[in-house]
Amino acid sequence: MNEQQKSALEAFSSGKMTAIELRRRFGGATYGDILLLLSELDLPLPRAPTMGREEQIRLAHSWMFPKHVP
Amino acid sequence: MSRKFKIFVVDTGPLITLAVAESLDYLLYVNADIIIPDAVLHEATHDAAHLGAQDIIVWMKAHRTHIEIAPTKAYEVFNAARATMPNLHIPDLGERAAVEVIEEPDRLLDDERGLLLCEETAVFKRIIVRDRERIVEISTLDFLRILEAEQCIQSAEYVFERASKAGRFPSRVTKMNEHDELTRRAIQELMKSNHHHS
Repeated sequence: MNEQQKSALEAFSSGKMTAIELRRRFGGATYGDILLLLSELDLPLPRAPTMGREEQIRLAHSWMFPKHVP
Repeated sequence: MSRKFKIFVVDTGPLITLAVAESLDYLLYVNADIIIPDAVLHEATHDAAHLGAQDIIVWMKAHRTHIEIAPTKAYEVFNAARATMPNLHIPDLGERAAVEVIEEPDRLLDDERGLLLCEETAVFKRIIVRDRERIVEISTLDFLRILEAEQCIQSAEYVFERASKAGRFPSRVTKMNEHDELTRRAIQELMKSNHHHS
């Protein structure tokens, strides 16, 4: 793995690059391949920030469990 | 299979993440129809040596009545092209198929609702949801956190941690390699039965 690929994995891990772009940079790697590479570098999976999406998530929650959400 | 709430798995991320964490059944904890575009399933499983592929196929076969593999034109064209170009690879095939499925006019009727389940970075970008009243997109971790809030699972973070340590379970990767041929056949069967039903 070269330095550019390492940087790309770090960018993905911190949510700055999409999976599809990363897969393209790795010559059509699958998402599973990406998980293996992250694991190899001990990088966490990206986490989508919830800020700005609260209403969306609340709506999803209310549809998933209609009786439980006020 | 016809419930008012539908979960569309719009890319391979959620399937593979959950498969690697041995948590695919969490998708069934919600009273919803699960819809997976054919090309997304293909991308996740076409090579059994890839992480999660074998688990996804086994899970699909076990829960076939709860899960719809949605046929798409994008996959049909891709499949036809593969006859002459066996190594053909279209990087965004799954996404294209997902958009096609979501935009089908009859997908959501009357008061039906749809949840688009994406991998984490996909929620930032280009899935344009036109009907915000009835369709929202969330990430795999959002989905898991909702299950955790409802006390359906113990910890969303634990599932994610397991997935991110995927490469540290070499025995699972080896096992999948050994099942390569079996998986290939299983995928073909699933796709065939899908086309018969559509």
